[in-house]
Amino acid sequence: MSRRTMSIAAAAALALTLAVPVAHAADVYKIGAAVGLTGYAATTDRGWRDGLEIAADYLNEKGGIDGHKIELVVEDNKSDPQQAVVAYQKMMANDQVQIFASGCVSAGNFAAAGAVARANIPMVLCSILPRRDNEIHWAFSFLPPPIYELEARMQYLKDHTDIRKVGVLNDPTPYAMLMAKLADPAAKKYGIEIVAHETYQQDDSDMSVQIGRIKAAGATALIKIGIGGSTVTIAKNVNQLGLKDMLLMAGLDDAAPYLQAGQVLGDHFMFAATTVQIPEAVPAGPAREALDAFLTRWKAKYGDRDGSAASRAWDAMMVIAKAVETAHSTDGAKVRDALEQVSHYQGAAALYEFSPQQHVGVVKNPFVIGEVKDGKLVQVK
Amino acid sequence: MRSSRTMTLPVTTSTSGGLPWRHILLAALGVLVVAFAFSANGYVVTVIGFAAIYALFCTGLNFFMGFTGQASFGQNAFAALGGYGSAILTADYGFEPAIALILTMAFSGVVALVVGYPTLRLRGHYLAMATFALGLITYEISINWTDVTQGYMGYSGIPPLGIGPYYADTPKQQLAVILILLALGVLAAAALKNSRFGRACRAIAGSELAAGALGIPVARYKLVSFVIAALYASAAGSLFAHFVGFISPEVFGTAMVVQSFTMLYLGGIGTIAGPLIGAVVVSLLPELMRGLKDYQTIGYLVILLGILIYAPKGVAGLLDRLLPKREG
Repeated sequence: MSRRTMSIAAAAALALTLAVPVAHAADVYKIGAAVGLTGYAATTDRGWRDGLEIAADYLNEKGGIDGHKIELVVEDNKSDPQQAVVAYQKMMANDQVQIFASGCVSAGNFAAAGAVARANIPMVLCSILPRRDNEIHWAFSFLPPPIYELEARMQYLKDHTDIRKVGVLNDPTPYAMLMAKLADPAAKKYGIEIVAHETYQQDDSDMSVQIGRIKAAGATALIKIGIGGSTVTIAKNVNQLGLKDMLLMAGLDDAAPYLQAGQVLGDHFMFAATTVQIPEAVPAGPAREALDAFLTRWKAKYGDRDGSAASRAWDAMMVIAKAVETAHSTDGAKVRDALEQVSHYQGAAALYEFSPQQHVGVVKNPFVIGEVKDGKLVQVK
Repeated sequence: MRSSRTMTLPVTTSTSGGLPWRHILLAALGVLVVAFAFSANGYVVTVIGFAAIYALFCTGLNFFMGFTGQASFGQNAFAALGGYGSAILTADYGFEPAIALILTMAFSGVVALVVGYPTLRLRGHYLAMATFALGLITYEISINWTDVTQGYMGYSGIPPLGIGPYYADTPKQQLAVILILLALGVLAAAALKNSRFGRACRAIAGSELAAGALGIPVARYKLVSFVIAALYASAAGSLFAHFVGFISPEVFGTAMVVQSFTMLYLGGIGTIAGPLIGAVVVSLLPELMRGLKDYQTIGYLVILLGILIYAPKGVAGLLDRLLPKREG
């Protein structure tokens, strides 16, 4: 093949790859997911994607949604807003997805929300909601409100310890920043004082300085807000600084960093746990049945891997299914309206209550306080 | 006589011996890309739109790095100033987007002047480090000065480009505006390159000592070149904000520096066409590789490496080899 022929072939491939929309059969329901498979949100968003996949497989085995087989289209947004815009546009224009079930990269979802709303496509999200009214109209969040994790930790401190002065250490991601802003009112509600606010970057390899400042301000507990390996780094720093009376309370994280941090700090490490992380904390009943339905399929495929994000994705898919069945239509506007009617739906991760005024589905605090005992995550008694 | 730093020197195309085939080929490719964008869907419009914005950014960077032979790892700082300036002025204070774009360009120019005056006394690695620090400082400010920038929450509600009653409401209209501004930017760069000032900059790129000996005010010209690059970067940042309607710190982070350097060197630094070619290739390649899923980045990087191995002077340099200029 000559160089010229190769060039023409490459140009033709480019045009075809970029420009040709994929028509979808009438019996297929296309669900798009813009997720951060690489970048800072990779741990959470890979879980979200895997949860969507096992839910889609489960529903397809049962015949799909209202007679439509689910086709999942997943695109990596690299945890970056610009890449997210491209990924969303690709799924709207080329794949012609009918609804989005996207991951936890809030900025990416915010960046694309305007275009998605203009296209009349509903979006269910692992992230917080976008901020403009016309965008919120089309968006539904499956993430518990940030205040819940904080309240679970503050309540524990109030009810079970004599710690009344705490420091907050957070990363600058949107969800963590929202939580950090809410920390003061949450603490006041439980009679606790926040004596220091410190921040770190996700890729920081040492937080000794921030921890030292928090300690110097008189805090005896450290409320850590953020995701990734930072929990382990902070635990190691607390240990290295010899802060024997400091309680580290984490949240948002995966089971793996919790286990590692627990090995470092023992009973001086606790965390706001999801029900998936400590299923034993959920009493028998509809909530436990919903959780077991997810965990059975999750563990069959992924073993002991933390399924917290995946459980929300599973719930998101089930809620989409319920909405499509209620609407008897896959039309974006009708499904959006039906999503607002999904109320009192018991999912694996939480109870969801959507309404025209309530687009954040989780309205009851699902978190419990956990610790690491004998290499396992258990509820603090 | 040719300097040992010919890589940063421009390639002058002679047209006296026949048709300027390279120009014809590049113009034809440009027309094809534009026609492709306007006949395709929103996805293609978005990708080409980002490519055009980056092309504008790289055209400015090329002026400082390619024509003047200086190193700057901090032009993302001026893109951030442009982006946040336009966002704040239009979304919060109701300025017309076109006016906001011009005002933020002027502001970025002044900042570049103030920052560049002491910084450009440095040379080589020291200048590179200082400009890199400038980019990092701006990035940190955009994250932490949340009252103004809203940090990682980002700035939303930025209106599309326009002035008075005329707004580019659809993505294709916005792309048209971006392409017009890009064309103006490229024409201005080409005119500057061949001006007395441009020739002086190229002399500085060859040897600052020799340029100084010839009476060229090296420090002043380097500063002007830096300010020009900042104006382009600011315009690119503003266009990004209006095109997407949302900005957050990640947009103007170190990834932007890496991306723009890749575009510049892959397209051909020191040439007018290089930044355009580089921006289009680097923007389109990852989209072509999307089908590879988890291997997308690997596939993209392998092709980039291949291009840089076989075209070390960039695609524009490769065109020079394939279509050598004719001497009159």
